[in-house]
Amino acid sequence: MKRIVFAVLLLACAQANAQFDIGRALDLGRKIVTSDAFKEFTPEQELALGEQLTAGFLGATPLHPDANLQRYVNRVGKWLALHSDRPDLPWTFAVIDTETINAFAMPGGYVIVSSGLLKRLSSESELAGVLSHEIAHVVKKHQLQAIQSAAKGDLASSIGKDLAGDAIARRGGNVLAQEAKTWASGLAADLLKDGFFLRPLDRSMEFEADQLGVVIATRSGYDPYGLVGALEMLAQYKGGGDAASVFSTHPPAADRMAELEKFLPAVQRYAGQPQLEGRFRQSVR
Amino acid sequence: MSAMASRIAALLVAALLVTAAWAQEQAFTNRSTELKDLGSPSGKTVATLPENTPVKVIARGGGWTKVDANGQQGWVNVFHLRFAATVEKSSSGGGGFLGGLSGMLGGNRQAQTSTIATTGIRGLSPEDLKNASPDPQALAKAESYRADKAAAERFAREGKLQTASVDYNEGGRR
Repeated sequence: MKRIVFAVLLLACAQANAQFDIGRALDLGRKIVTSDAFKEFTPEQELALGEQLTAGFLGATPLHPDANLQRYVNRVGKWLALHSDRPDLPWTFAVIDTETINAFAMPGGYVIVSSGLLKRLSSESELAGVLSHEIAHVVKKHQLQAIQSAAKGDLASSIGKDLAGDAIARRGGNVLAQEAKTWASGLAADLLKDGFFLRPLDRSMEFEADQLGVVIATRSGYDPYGLVGALEMLAQYKGGGDAASVFSTHPPAADRMAELEKFLPAVQRYAGQPQLEGRFRQSVR
Repeated sequence: MSAMASRIAALLVAALLVTAAWAQEQAFTNRSTELKDLGSPSGKTVATLPENTPVKVIARGGGWTKVDANGQQGWVNVFHLRFAATVEKSSSGGGGFLGGLSGMLGGNRQAQTSTIATTGIRGLSPEDLKNASPDPQALAKAESYRADKAAAERFAREGKLQTASVDYNEGGRR
């Protein structure tokens, strides 16, 4: 009889203890996710997340089969990235084979651009404008910020849990590359399922990426008006956009041009830099 | 519906049709601006176009757009134009182009899907993205196309691209 009472007591204790721990863990997760202490992803996490998101994107839509086109876009992109504040990321530019007109920046230096967008551009300086805008998002970690604010808004969501769980793990010690990868594949799957990349970023982030993008392209020796040319194309485009297109995920081109008009006089003296239409036409058909 | 209301509706439909027909190339000056013989500030002014002058877009490049204004061709500062397509977009509501997530996934998609179907264009759909299973082989292939620093520098030299020292804050201070 004594034994049974002891066992029941033990069980009750264990349960109370378990409940206490879960409550504490959730509370801790909530605190960390909403506190300033959880502002930064580790470099391993950022890279792993970019990798997994890119793998997910490429699961949804194929890489363009033209290897020369892929290499061309990577050379333009890498040259631009060398003139950014994060030149040492393993910059990867992937052309996806789709008519959807858009480009996407992933954490860690992964940039995806659609062939539908490429074939509507008219010069390498316009391509440089588009890629620089995406590079600027990576440099400023806009996507990471958006992921964190999404998690803060809804801790019960799977994204919130991914981040809270990670934050708890970080308390216990370092997150190694392999752990980061496992963690990132779960978070990437949740973000894709959640339609994260179909949602617009804050307009202020887009305008910031436009301005920083113009600076990166200009520093790299391109005509500063490349991005403006790409926006002009978008402003004239009448084909309608699907939900994954730039028309759904970005502010109207006219608004972005109005912002850039205030900024561009600062780089006006570089307006004679090359546009490289010929090299672009050779590579993008 | 009263006779007046149906007349207004008919006029609206007619106005929409006209906009659609102009679509691709039509633009308007958004302020009084100069039509120049060259796409450059040093180009000679060949005419002054008042605000709201309709022009046909011929080409774009380097901050200047080549237009045809009532039969006269020349170059206009790109920021001095608004585009017919943009007018339509702006009037459809504030904020993002399609008015946020609900707009993106709601009514608009129907029309877009039919556009895609009739033109045979395959776009990336939200379902494609949401149901994607990761493709690590495609990722590895994409990574195999990376350019290293030396390749990027060689490529830049071939294009006569020269690094310019431009401070990020240079424009921000204005």
